[in-house]
Amino acid sequence: MELLTPEFGLVFWMFVAFACLYFILAKWVWPFIIKSMEERADLIDKGVAYAQEAKSHLDNAKAEADKLLAEARNEQADILREAAKMRNELIEKARGDAAEEAKKVSQAAQVSLEQARKEAEKQLRTEVGDLALRIAEKVIRKNIANDDAQRALVDQYLSEVETKN
Amino acid sequence: MKSKIITAVVALVIVVLMGMGYQSAAHHHGHEPAGEVNVKDLIFDHLGDAYGWEVPFNHSVRIPLPIIVWGQDGLHCFMSSRVTGGETYEGFKISTSEEHHGKLVQVLDDGSEYRPWDFSITKNVAGLFISAAIVVLMMMSLKRWYVRNGMKAPRGFKGALELVFDFVYTDTIRPIMGKHAPKYAPYLLTAFFFILTMNLLGLIVIFPGGANLTGNIAVTFVLALLTFIITNLSGTREYWKEIFWPDVPLMLKCPAPIMPLVEVLGLFTKPMALMIRLFANMMSGHMVVIVLVSLIFIFSTQFSVGVGAFTTIFSMAFSLFMLLLDILISFIQAYVFTLLSTIFISMAIVEPHAHEAK
Repeated sequence: MELLTPEFGLVFWMFVAFACLYFILAKWVWPFIIKSMEERADLIDKGVAYAQEAKSHLDNAKAEADKLLAEARNEQADILREAAKMRNELIEKARGDAAEEAKKVSQAAQVSLEQARKEAEKQLRTEVGDLALRIAEKVIRKNIANDDAQRALVDQYLSEVETKN
Repeated sequence: MKSKIITAVVALVIVVLMGMGYQSAAHHHGHEPAGEVNVKDLIFDHLGDAYGWEVPFNHSVRIPLPIIVWGQDGLHCFMSSRVTGGETYEGFKISTSEEHHGKLVQVLDDGSEYRPWDFSITKNVAGLFISAAIVVLMMMSLKRWYVRNGMKAPRGFKGALELVFDFVYTDTIRPIMGKHAPKYAPYLLTAFFFILTMNLLGLIVIFPGGANLTGNIAVTFVLALLTFIITNLSGTREYWKEIFWPDVPLMLKCPAPIMPLVEVLGLFTKPMALMIRLFANMMSGHMVVIVLVSLIFIFSTQFSVGVGAFTTIFSMAFSLFMLLLDILISFIQAYVFTLLSTIFISMAIVEPHAHEAK
């Protein structure tokens, strides 16, 4: 039957056509297409892996940021506490200093007061002495107005003063 | 909206073409007595090869193709238009005898016919070249895309090509072949795309298509022969050992070599099956469509117009279905051929089995 017997010419040309096609495609096309597709598949695989890694990084980053934030808050609280403590200390110290100063000042005042008092006492004493003397003089003068004995005493004193001089 | 207009125009063109075809056919067969439609010749003419390529709606004009023959007196080259009308040119004519029907023969001095070595670019040969050119253009366009666009995935037709390529190479050849894939992939891929293109081109009825290529046993014979040669040339020692001294009870191979005989037979039946499967599938698809179309003429010439009209609708619906099925079969058969070739070759490059290593 004609359909089942291969025609020689067609077999020959089929060989030729297939050989040419094979030569062209195997030399210039197939390796290039296979290479390109494999490269792209690699690129996509890598891209997916990279994206996954990036995502995990991002998740970590969020946790890390939270951690940092918490740390910062703690630190802030510490600093505030420290500052409060320092302020209290300062106030305490200032208060102490002021008290001491005040004490010193009051001591100095007391000293000067004492001195003034002593001075005043001294002056008072002098004046009182003078006064007393004057009163005494007056009293004495009246008593001894006509008294020879008194005259003699005065003379004695005068002479004493004279000898002393 | 636009697509609806296009669909309507295409449908109209198809209907008009059908009408013209019917009229032309009726006119052509009009001079023959009713019921004389020679369906057998019609079918075999369409399935077979031809000198010159038919054009639609015309039975006399053919696209001339070169004829190259080595006759008893040497080489002859001329265009097929010199003989397709039934003329004799340089002692050659297209035979009408029983033995060489439709083939070019040299008429000898004593009037007998001599079949020369025929290297003519017949319709099928031209179809082969066109298919090969289409494959090269398609694949070159895909390659150019990669050259120009680097890592970007191709779109449109190139994307579809890449999809098919990926299906055949990455999902079929590479898993089966493993590390041998790069060595054999070029042959297998070439075979796949060549067969696929020839299959699909055969479904188009007018000029660039219409040649029944993979439904011709010469074409499938060459393809199967190539697989056979590659399989046996790359056969390892283990492969040949499995054939001539297989791992079966001694009595099956020693006094009478039953198993080796079966294995050797298997060497040839495998490519034979490849050849017949592709050929029969593609040819029968074409044949069914032609028979369905022929039904129109048979019923129209024998019965009333009403029956003819009904048959037309019925046949058209069924041939449309068959052609759609053929598109599927075109792909499946190209794939099956490639898949089986891959398996046969990978069976030939076997390494010794694990249980023999211990």
